[in-house]
Amino acid sequence: MSVGSEDKMIRVDMTRQSASIEAFPEKWKFLGGRALSAKILLEECDPDCDPLGADNFLILAPGLLAGSSAPTSGRLSVGGKSPLTGGIKEANVGGDPGQDLMKLGYRVVIVTGKPEDPELRYALEVDGDSARVIPADAHKGKWNYALIEDLTQTYSKKASFISIGPAGEMQLSGASVACTDHSQERHPARHAGRGGLGAVMGSKGLKFVAIEAGRAASRKPADKQFFQLSKKYTRDFVAGPGQEPFPKWGTSVGCEEANSLYTFPYKNRTEGRSPDVATLDGMRIVESFETRGGGMHNCLTGCIVKCSNIVHDANGEYKTSGLEFETLTMLGSNCAIASWEDVADLDRLCDDIGIDTIETGAAVAVYMDAGGMEFGDAEGTKRLLREVAEGTEIGRAIGNGAATVGRLKNHHRVASVKGQAIPAWDPRPLKAAGVTYCTSAMGADHTAGLIVDPGQAPEEFARASQESQILNAAVDSSGFCQFLMPNIEEIAEFYTHFYGESINREAVADMGWQCLEDEWEFNRRVGFGPEDDKMPACMAEDEIGGEVKFVWDVPDEIVAAAYSRFDPRDELFTARPS
Amino acid sequence: MPTLEVPSRYRVPTRGESRIDVKGTTIRECIVEVESRFPGFQELILDTGGKQKRFVRLFLNGDALERDALDRSLSQEDTITIMASAAGG
Repeated sequence: MSVGSEDKMIRVDMTRQSASIEAFPEKWKFLGGRALSAKILLEECDPDCDPLGADNFLILAPGLLAGSSAPTSGRLSVGGKSPLTGGIKEANVGGDPGQDLMKLGYRVVIVTGKPEDPELRYALEVDGDSARVIPADAHKGKWNYALIEDLTQTYSKKASFISIGPAGEMQLSGASVACTDHSQERHPARHAGRGGLGAVMGSKGLKFVAIEAGRAASRKPADKQFFQLSKKYTRDFVAGPGQEPFPKWGTSVGCEEANSLYTFPYKNRTEGRSPDVATLDGMRIVESFETRGGGMHNCLTGCIVKCSNIVHDANGEYKTSGLEFETLTMLGSNCAIASWEDVADLDRLCDDIGIDTIETGAAVAVYMDAGGMEFGDAEGTKRLLREVAEGTEIGRAIGNGAATVGRLKNHHRVASVKGQAIPAWDPRPLKAAGVTYCTSAMGADHTAGLIVDPGQAPEEFARASQESQILNAAVDSSGFCQFLMPNIEEIAEFYTHFYGESINREAVADMGWQCLEDEWEFNRRVGFGPEDDKMPACMAEDEIGGEVKFVWDVPDEIVAAAYSRFDPRDELFTARPS
Repeated sequence: MPTLEVPSRYRVPTRGESRIDVKGTTIRECIVEVESRFPGFQELILDTGGKQKRFVRLFLNGDALERDALDRSLSQEDTITIMASAAGG
């Protein structure tokens, strides 16, 4: 029996509140995570559907190697048509649900329909033999942490959960989908944040998914060399001197590096450096471990990167975890909030309410820039986030993202592409990353293809962006975390030994490219065109930098060139995600 | 004269120069000398206390150096390579 021949999938109809288990189609055998989500949406989802309507899909797809013994390979893709951008969306997330679904043999969960009564809440329960939709009205309106605390009393100690907070229930376009992490408490601190997929889940009345993997074993590879390969990769990664300091302390310690490169946006991106970098940088979090506790941990079972920080308050009590560079920048520097401790509070609020920290940071900064609040008002920002959960007018606007706040306040400086806020990594010094923001079907998303290289020549922008987009699509389809930094050659080797079929590096690159093609095609059917691949005017007008100034000045033809596949060169197969 | 190899991430102040011949008997002196010709370079490599920044790694003739090697003596034929480690988000 070949690997994968007994794989299953779950189809959930929220109109009838029913779930059925089906055999996983052979034609999708080598599709996982993001690529599988894109294929299903292209083949089955009406591109003209209302993102919050019954015809939209919510896809939960673990990567191809999830559930196996490959290191850091259990990531989950959450997909659907985005209420934020109106186009296709995949948000990739850690935590244990991806691992657990695959250990049970489920390659994907496809949720369609919506209940007749929008006031009712439901949950999906999944174990090795069955999947069922149950009423969950008792949990209506709960914030993520309180919800998971209650669920851990109801389900087994090994259960993992996917959930939404009040923002998802209110169907706000910045709403995230939370996954519980590997900690004993199963904190809902890992979020598929971008694109508002929490709102899609909310529109279907689905408050949470509970996965009971019990003692399900890891997926067995076709060939035992897979185990040796996993061990070797782990050994090399841990020993690799070039990996420091990133896995050791996480992304949060990248603030000073970003600041030196003018990609640490300040005051709604009007400057590229912050005077508060020293009090925001993640090394202050690392220093707090000694007196407060906390530390670094793995967000999912089998992760060797362990880049997720656990942040405690001054009393030594857990506050939040996974406080990343992007959050410190967008909710800190970009709002001129100077203290990492305030940002930790804001991160906890975002995770609890269930909203994307990047989109929310951008939205608050636009609000401040438009005169709604003073830059640097940390306590006011905390009140504002609580208003998201309360559903006030400004709270709902913040929860719907930066573009909505810009429209509400009639403010011109809104840095977004296809309706999605530009992340911390700034396209003015990082122009190849800017090409990604313009051409990715996802809108402005650094995880679609980040290139941190301000010294690059213009003739390299399109190719660098395309190569990075192919690589990241391949990684996001594999289940590997981008922070493990696997290259395409290594992914091919893992696939070959796991499936017992020769899969070369060219085939993996083709899988990545096909994923991009499927996403672009979905958006074309929605009606997206070259006019949507534009950087906002403020990126061309607002100059940042020091002796050398940066604006967005990349010609349209260079941006468009990223759509035409370049002849593969060796770097495509050996480069690692940034 | 020692040569300094600059990764593209740090080539904005060097105006695109990737290999720079520098007068200097230690790595630190070489960095300071580059700064005198290309203002803005040193702050990418060293912090305000003069220590090597945490995302910067240095190699001497292809061999990785310890983080406290800034004052190591150089010979005229040496090549110092600067590398920047991963970014993330």
